Amino acid sequence: MNPVAVAAACATLICASPALAVFAFALSGEAPSFGGALLRDGAIGTFSLIAAGGGGAIMLGAAAAWLVSLCRFPGRAVFEWLLVVPLAAPSYVLAYAYASLTWAGGAIDFPVAGFWGAAFIYAVGLYPYVYLAARAAFASQSVCALEAARTLGAKPWALFRRVALPLARPGIVAGGALALMEIAADYGAAQHFGLTTLSTAVFRAWYAHGEPVAALQIASVLLLAALVFLVIERRARGRAAYAGGSTRWRPLPRYDLPPLAQAAAVIFCVALVTFGAFLPLAWLARLALLYGGLGDVAQPLINSLLLAGTGAVVTLVLAAAIAASARRGKMIGKAALFAAAMGYAAPGAVIALGALSLFGLAREVGWIGGLGGALALCALIWAYAARFASAGAGPIDAGLARLSNSLDASARTLGAGPLKRLMRVDMPIAGPSLAAGALILFVEILKELPATLILRPFDFDTLSVIAYSYASDERLLQAAAPSLLIFLAGLAPILVLSHGITRARAGARAGAAATA
Amino acid sequence: MTFSPSRRAFTLGASAMALAACSQDAGANEVVNVYSARHYDSDRRLYEAFEESTGISVRALTGSAEQLLERLRAEGEATEADLVVAADAGNLWRLKDAGLLQNTVTPTLETSVPAGLHDPDGAYWGFTRRARVIIYRRDAVQPEELASYDNLADARFRNQIVMRSSTNVYQLSTLASRIERLGVENARAWAAGVRANFARDPQGSDTDQIRAVAAGEAQATVCNHYYYLRLQQSDDPADRETAEKVGLIFPDQNGAGTHVNISGAGVTAHAKRRDNAVRLLEYLVSDEAQTLLAPLNDEFPIRPEIAPAPALAALGAFRAEDIPLSALGENQAEAARIFEEVGWR
Repeated sequence: MNPVAVAAACATLICASPALAVFAFALSGEAPSFGGALLRDGAIGTFSLIAAGGGGAIMLGAAAAWLVSLCRFPGRAVFEWLLVVPLAAPSYVLAYAYASLTWAGGAIDFPVAGFWGAAFIYAVGLYPYVYLAARAAFASQSVCALEAARTLGAKPWALFRRVALPLARPGIVAGGALALMEIAADYGAAQHFGLTTLSTAVFRAWYAHGEPVAALQIASVLLLAALVFLVIERRARGRAAYAGGSTRWRPLPRYDLPPLAQAAAVIFCVALVTFGAFLPLAWLARLALLYGGLGDVAQPLINSLLLAGTGAVVTLVLAAAIAASARRGKMIGKAALFAAAMGYAAPGAVIALGALSLFGLAREVGWIGGLGGALALCALIWAYAARFASAGAGPIDAGLARLSNSLDASARTLGAGPLKRLMRVDMPIAGPSLAAGALILFVEILKELPATLILRPFDFDTLSVIAYSYASDERLLQAAAPSLLIFLAGLAPILVLSHGITRARAGARAGAAATA
Repeated sequence: MTFSPSRRAFTLGASAMALAACSQDAGANEVVNVYSARHYDSDRRLYEAFEESTGISVRALTGSAEQLLERLRAEGEATEADLVVAADAGNLWRLKDAGLLQNTVTPTLETSVPAGLHDPDGAYWGFTRRARVIIYRRDAVQPEELASYDNLADARFRNQIVMRSSTNVYQLSTLASRIERLGVENARAWAAGVRANFARDPQGSDTDQIRAVAAGEAQATVCNHYYYLRLQQSDDPADRETAEKVGLIFPDQNGAGTHVNISGAGVTAHAKRRDNAVRLLEYLVSDEAQTLLAPLNDEFPIRPEIAPAPALAALGAFRAEDIPLSALGENQAEAARIFEEVGWR
């Protein structure tokens, strides 16, 4: 039995079951009368937000990645890692921070509100997903293709548009898909800005109408939409093969930008990190100082870090199994990739609800008892895996997509089995992508709120839980400190791994593996 | 080689989980497990005081009432939770309606909680009261123009009202009480009238509505009374300035009275430590807890004899509406439908 296929099958079962439970329970009830209008308005809202906020995030992220990877301008090396920073700030924290900073009578009298406010926050908060994936893609591009284009006289823009961009497309698409699904799943920011999206419609059916089954029905539509989106994306990518041109790895050639363009590049990068992180966080820091004292955050901080660490490792392993299997063209792997994507597009509370329903079934059968202590923690890790496997699998899959088919074929010819090929060929080459996946998972789980809120054990609070508790009680001053800590706790791993991706470019190990 | 940091992290995580699991089962001492939709530091203080006086330690899990309900439902008879706390009668009613609470009637509870502020069967008992008040901008509105909730629908206030989303349960309960008193048609006409006066689509929290009124985006809104008091007593000078620009009205003092809601608690249907849960419930309505709670969260004590916090007392006495609490739950679905119909999301 092929161990990769078995691992992939297990990973799929773990990651897809809560989403499948959502479908099953959605079918168990009748559609309510209020559902139609909610669904229609929600779909329009989600689609518009994805177009505006997601489009913005993709353009900002791809442009930023190209600037720092292929151009030379003052501060480039600093921006290269600084641009990742907004990834550490959850959308709901950004929304609250901007709302208290920019209302009509506030410190900045230009309200970030309504549809465009939300789109703005998604664009500046989520572009790092695209930036990271695109930068990893640029960083592992063959120098030869770029140099050939330059020799042929290509200007920076043409080089970007006609060579670098197409080569980086799998990365940009994978990162962009993450950003879009983040938007589709977001509840906190959209609800705060008073928008009707599929996500807010889910909670409206659940909270206002008291109909959790109707909520799952709306959630199913969201999941199906994610599925369709992913299928279209796959088909568009088609069977295009990204065979590397060369096994020589050298530093990337960078363009010297003209002075005016240099200034523009600097302003662009400064604006991104300011709006995406420093401005709202400086405001939160001010609020925290006004309140004085951190409150009781030591234990929640430890809980957050342990959960995020454990969750990231478990999810990364599952994601790697799924991605590797999908890469080998196994049906189960492809199906798993789709299933995982559904989890990512669903609000965390919906996945938790799916997990809870399965838990209820297992209890009725008598397999397990109450959801306390260790069992609750396991349920929580399970929900994280179901929710975020796609965030890990996406980048890994994109990394593997650059693996030349001939390399895999050579390894086969040399008698390497599936497991050996995975460990000795795929994983070393996908190294930078694997690091990106780990980074994203750790920070995602650190920021995660709804599933943690529903499934955690007694007396077990995380930073996001206490930030939410204060914010939902409308005590923004007290919520400021834990919100800042979520950001700071996520910052260190982000910067370390961000640095690692850049260094991986040197290609000592990847190069050796490629020539082996 | 690539995986060594991950492996270390995994070991660390696994040992931490084992640790956490141990701490869950540690302390064979008396405990009581609480699911609470109130995430206030004040409640933490109450639990600590309870622990001190009884030796029973309180383990809490906070979350939204709707989510805690689903968790209780999934856990069924295996649940570890003994007591559920919610910040709204509508959610308490839903818990009872789903069969997740058991009726608990004791002499202490009956003498401590006034008749209108608990479930007649004893499924849930109120321990604080909150009033749904009107907030208006002082330089734009005369208080008598907004003496009643009815006035919020007056044409006088076209484009001058801001409101919170009706996904929020406080909003649902406000309309549910109107349905109870005046019927569905009246409630629908009122909601449509207020909707027509919106200065903007519903967004933000109760506090955000007060800020919008103070900043001149609108002239009036509705919120729970303690949000106003919090701004008044905030550490942030900008908040205190906001509070100075607005005034507070207890509506319908010449009519049906101001809409009042409760925070309350009930013993879970499958409580494993029922006696401890009842003791905590009785403690929440005791003189000691009520006196402790009053200054912490600016809510009204459950009994009139207990003095409210000074800032709250300064608002003066008011007359509360007199409807059965269960009506807030029974009319909730209808209220949600009406909000949907008139386009007030």
